[in-house]
Amino acid sequence: MNRQNEFPNVHNSECETYLANPDVLSAYIDKELPTWKRHLIGWHLKRCGTCAHHLQRLQHTDNFLRGAGDVEVSDGFLDGVMARVSEAAQHQRQQGSFGSRIHGLIKVSIGWMPSLTTLAGKLRYNIRTRSPVYISILTFAVFTMVGVTLYQPSGDKFGAELRELDNEKLISFEVIQHEPPKRLLTTYLQGK
Amino acid sequence: MFVSDEDLMMKCRKGDTGAFELLVRRHQNPLINYIHRFINDYHRAEDLSQETFLRVFKSAGRYKPTASFKSWLYTIATNLCRNEVRNRSRRNTCFFEDLVEEGEDVYHTEIMRDTRYLPDVLLEKKEQRQMIRKALAQLPENQRVALTLVTYQDLRYEEVAEILGCSVGAVKALIHRARQKMKKLLIKAGIGVEKIDE
Repeated sequence: MNRQNEFPNVHNSECETYLANPDVLSAYIDKELPTWKRHLIGWHLKRCGTCAHHLQRLQHTDNFLRGAGDVEVSDGFLDGVMARVSEAAQHQRQQGSFGSRIHGLIKVSIGWMPSLTTLAGKLRYNIRTRSPVYISILTFAVFTMVGVTLYQPSGDKFGAELRELDNEKLISFEVIQHEPPKRLLTTYLQGK
Repeated sequence: MFVSDEDLMMKCRKGDTGAFELLVRRHQNPLINYIHRFINDYHRAEDLSQETFLRVFKSAGRYKPTASFKSWLYTIATNLCRNEVRNRSRRNTCFFEDLVEEGEDVYHTEIMRDTRYLPDVLLEKKEQRQMIRKALAQLPENQRVALTLVTYQDLRYEEVAEILGCSVGAVKALIHRARQKMKKLLIKAGIGVEKIDE
């Protein structure tokens, strides 16, 4: 009884042999079974009306679903996709060029590496041997760095001047953009 | 000469946009229909289809010719649709076509443009479509995806298993359960056994 509830399509011993698993019928419709199994089930379906009816109903449900009709793609769809794709391709190319630039930089620095290593080695040797010239150069460099860090120019006059210049430029840009048409108009009106 | 999807994809890897255009032409119709059946919103379906194709193009470098192109395409589309449905439910919003009354038509179907059909046939088709849409919407997500992929996209069980990330046996069970449920739902909706049996 329990088995009957679980698999409603199993109604006699032969059905149980071939269709013990109810999924088999759907797989049979979708032609997803191996050939030997298809033949066996086909043979059983010819002899068993109940199973054949059950299969027919599933088949009709499937046919009904297939008859639903499709939506149509709008005309600009392909163009839209290709526009986005070409944008992406361009972006990828740019990224690629940035990557190649980095790669070139690394290559150059690798090229410089032996000479830099030699220089570092020399510097280390001279420091170790306390060569007065190198010591004085290093002291000067350290003092300059400390000085620049501690005594920054307070007024930042140069920066302020630059900003002023920028503002002037902006103003003059605005004037150039907006004024000439007005002037032209007034001259035109005055001329009239 | 017919060039397979996989070969076209290999050309895409080398940056051939012409090959990609051919792929889009081949798959745009079934893909939009699949997404439309999944999310029930035509305009959003077009957006998501565009997004799917774009993702395919961007990740063309990672594509391996051993995998079927179709299952790869539908895996991307299914993931996008799942995210869309999740986001919608999180935001508590409905899809446009879920709000449309039964009598209204928001579809751009081939059947509607086909003049061979008489008005009563058109009406019947429209009703049929609406019923199927409603019945499909009542299925659990995995069953709906599996049934749609097999019925409308003609995918093999193996490919569906790849898309859903489960075994072929599980797909078989999902399809069968979905068909049984659809049969019951359609009978309940008034498409009697007689009509299904016609």
